[in-house]
Amino acid sequence: MKHLSEEEQMEMYYDEGSEAVKAHLKSCRECAVEYAKFKRSLDSIKTEDVPQRGPDYGDFVWQALRPQLIPYEKKTVGWRGWSWWKTATAAAACLALMTAAFIGGRYWEHRNAGPNDMAGTTSPGNTPPQQRVVLVVLTDHLDRTERLLVQLNHADLHDRAESAQLQTEARELLASNRLYRVSANREGDPALAGALDQLERVLAEIANDPHLTAADLDRVRKDMNTSGILFEVRVLLTRKPNEESGPKSAKGVSI
Amino acid sequence: MQGNDHSVVRAVLAGDKEAYGTLVRAHSAAVFRVAFRITGNEADAEEIVQETFLRAYQRLEKFELRSAFGTWVYRIAVNCALSRMGRPEIEAEYRHGEESDAEAKTVQVATRDADPERVLLGREASAAQEMAMQRLTATEKCAFVLRHLEERSMGEIAEALGVAPNAAKQAVFRAVQKLRRELAPLRGNA
Repeated sequence: MKHLSEEEQMEMYYDEGSEAVKAHLKSCRECAVEYAKFKRSLDSIKTEDVPQRGPDYGDFVWQALRPQLIPYEKKTVGWRGWSWWKTATAAAACLALMTAAFIGGRYWEHRNAGPNDMAGTTSPGNTPPQQRVVLVVLTDHLDRTERLLVQLNHADLHDRAESAQLQTEARELLASNRLYRVSANREGDPALAGALDQLERVLAEIANDPHLTAADLDRVRKDMNTSGILFEVRVLLTRKPNEESGPKSAKGVSI
Repeated sequence: MQGNDHSVVRAVLAGDKEAYGTLVRAHSAAVFRVAFRITGNEADAEEIVQETFLRAYQRLEKFELRSAFGTWVYRIAVNCALSRMGRPEIEAEYRHGEESDAEAKTVQVATRDADPERVLLGREASAAQEMAMQRLTATEKCAFVLRHLEERSMGEIAEALGVAPNAAKQAVFRAVQKLRRELAPLRGNA
């Protein structure tokens, strides 16, 4: 290793020298002599005396300083003193509360809107728009069915043209009647489903007979009168329009 | 002590101005010592003490409670001393004052040693040392004082001067080189 530089000597003096430098200093006589001179030169600078200050010096400084100091204002803890994250947290909490209230309201409304609403058990003001459309369509179906039954009741059974017209109308009503019955069953409305089931049997007898005779129609007419199908349709018809307060309420059908 | 200082700082920031007196009384002596060692002038050191505690009070809200108040106020004192030394008019005043100060120190030495020859040598050495110190730049002198007399680490010096540790070490080294060169004839005589 080469001899110690002045910087390395300084590091040794301030106890910051590396192990290699320390080892070299122990083994190299020339560097040891140089370092001894270096040490003496710096040691001689350590003689400066600081003028002593008495025990009251701190108090003296404070008394001189005190009039220049303006007291700090106490921190406010009111609304204006809130930090931005506290405000943000409060705003987020309010938003979450409003969202929860909205969703809860929607859920409560949906839960209370029972399946019987389609059959008209809810008040008119609370009927949802979609359900209102279904009721109108069903009323239309029952209206057409009532007309068919009235026509059948008063028809000339020997008039083949009239019989064919009844059969065509019955076929059209049969398909839609099946859909309404299935829907009523699914929605849990046994009264409507039962009436539509009876109606479906009558419509099926008229629609599906390829050789509909006067005797067949007469039998159907008797079955219809016996089972009171027409009466049930009228009950349903009067119930729906009354609840919907639609134009149907004014419509009367006589047998 | 540090915990006490921190609670006092909190009290001051809460509006208790009088509590600051506790901190001033506790740290005045240390601040005066470093101020005197850097400036070499008693009157300047007194002013630096006042300025240091005034600045510290004004910046108390920026004081981070992770560090010790003593270390923080020490750094402010070093900065106050440095800025004072950096001003030319202060520099001139300082040099002017040094002549009388050196004289006073010689007298102080003389009271401890009755040997006239040693008194003469002591006076010569002291004056030469003061002159050599005056030839250092403010940063070199400050770095040297902090390392050599205050026995602060290079890291602490770097923090106080606001420079990198290596720059602080180089400042100390340049001061050592200059002082040794200046004082070499004196050592030869001795």
